[in-house]
Amino acid sequence: MTPEQFLEQLRTQFGAALTEAEAKGSVLLLTTTADQGYAVCKALHDLGFEYLNCLSGVDWTTHLEVVYDLSSLHHAAKVHLRVKVDRADPLVRSVSDLWKAANWHERECYDMFGVRFDGHPDHRRILLSEDWVGFPLRKDYTDERLVPYTDYGLEEKQAKTEAGKGAPKPTSAAPKPPAPPKPPAPAG
Amino acid sequence: MSMTTPIPIGTQVITERLGETMEEMYVNMGPQHPSTHGVLRLMLKLDGEVITDCIPYIGYLHRCHEKIGENRNYVQIIPYTDRLDYLASMAMNFGYVLSVERLMNQEVPPRAEYMRVILAELQRIASHLLWLGTFGLDLGNFTIFIYCFREREMVLDLFEAVSGQRLNYAFYRIGGMAMDFPDGWIEQCREFLTWFKPRIPEYDALVTDNILFQKRIRGIGVMDGPTAVNYGLSGPMLRASGINWDLRRNDPYSVYDRFEFNVPVFDTCDVWGRFLVRRQEMIESVKIIEQALEGLPSGDIQAKVPKTIKPAAGQAYVRTESPRGELGFYLVSDGTPKPYRYKVRSPAFCNLSALTEMMRGCLVADAVAILGSVDIVLGEIDR
Repeated sequence: MTPEQFLEQLRTQFGAALTEAEAKGSVLLLTTTADQGYAVCKALHDLGFEYLNCLSGVDWTTHLEVVYDLSSLHHAAKVHLRVKVDRADPLVRSVSDLWKAANWHERECYDMFGVRFDGHPDHRRILLSEDWVGFPLRKDYTDERLVPYTDYGLEEKQAKTEAGKGAPKPTSAAPKPPAPPKPPAPAG
Repeated sequence: MSMTTPIPIGTQVITERLGETMEEMYVNMGPQHPSTHGVLRLMLKLDGEVITDCIPYIGYLHRCHEKIGENRNYVQIIPYTDRLDYLASMAMNFGYVLSVERLMNQEVPPRAEYMRVILAELQRIASHLLWLGTFGLDLGNFTIFIYCFREREMVLDLFEAVSGQRLNYAFYRIGGMAMDFPDGWIEQCREFLTWFKPRIPEYDALVTDNILFQKRIRGIGVMDGPTAVNYGLSGPMLRASGINWDLRRNDPYSVYDRFEFNVPVFDTCDVWGRFLVRRQEMIESVKIIEQALEGLPSGDIQAKVPKTIKPAAGQAYVRTESPRGELGFYLVSDGTPKPYRYKVRSPAFCNLSALTEMMRGCLVADAVAILGSVDIVLGEIDR
């Protein structure tokens, strides 16, 4: 089956529950809601997507997303399914009965994003210790030990040079930055 | 403590023979144990000598790789990927730069593509050699360890000549490579290949044809094909379960479609099969390197890329075949110089998740052999 045929079948089965459905090359890009997530996964599993490549979470600050990457060993089509989950009370049904691979992936997703998976056989944290507070990969999680991102003023410098290239050079250059204070003369 | 859980067949035989109910006990293996290849803790539930359950505890080496990645720009992440699978850093670099290039639709000069393939395949040989050596060590065969490390040292010398580093190279760049091969490197590489090819029969004489070695690993850690797929196993673990699947051939990336090589598949579904797959893969890697050295084009090694890499908003999941299996990078870009989401799908993580399934019903003496056959690297499991 081609990606378009898969899409056709899924559209007739789920209709409006698939909020986004398009084929980009061999990849099917699908988006659905949390309550339909399991049903779509089951349909995909029955369509022959027997290999769960990856299951991950994304924090969009307004909502969370659980992302399923599926493929098959028999046809070239791949699936990139995004399930939107409420951020305050993230709950989706576990797919670990369809793909056993999901077991550890879902535990990791719970560990990092706090998404709870209904029906998971072993719902614990996996990488962090059991008594860890918070979900580190959420965007509002901070830790004083984390070194924040800096580009060392590179972007600002580039913007300046680009602006300098476009416009004629101003004759009276901007006032020079004050010279760094001289170190005090060594005594004696 | 009496038994309440269902007992596997092997135990039933023993209990019936003894005519009594034996006590179960937990044995803690690791986190500091020579056979766990890092810091992995296994809780083995034993009934006599039979493993009835095995609970892996991971995370001892967790270093917030993904969180750090989301706070660095795309170029700064490259050296971090080295530390994922520190035994196959070239493969990790390869997977990462490929996913960024896919995200920003970046072309790579042909010479750089060939260089990437050559280095990645050399890395596969080095990684499998280290696996074979330590696997022999796990089983009490110390000699093979010395032999394998001799050859691995030569590959590391080649890497050192190229990048100046022996383990963490950070040699791949977005849109190309950091440097060209130094003078005389290609001859040095060819010399290594001529030296290496006759070494495989040497290993065969030492381990493959060794009846003690075979008896030790045949028929244990069984994982049939459909279950292996369901567990998301990949790489040699999947191919030893009779599934003919290799991303270099089935979903070709870079220039792998230009080379002729076989994908070794064995359907013994056990530790013996995994050993054979890795042994055969080293031979196939040599073939690929020879073809790539033959066809190595001249020209640039680095495409023109913007100074600040800012891929357009979008996402990409890119998978490559690392020595351990399917290595996936899932990147979400929001148009800024740093990734919005950066996720690593680690092959050993998925392979290890099937450990319980493989261990159940085996003897405790085989636990180390089964764990060894998974070829775990805790650096990429714990991230």
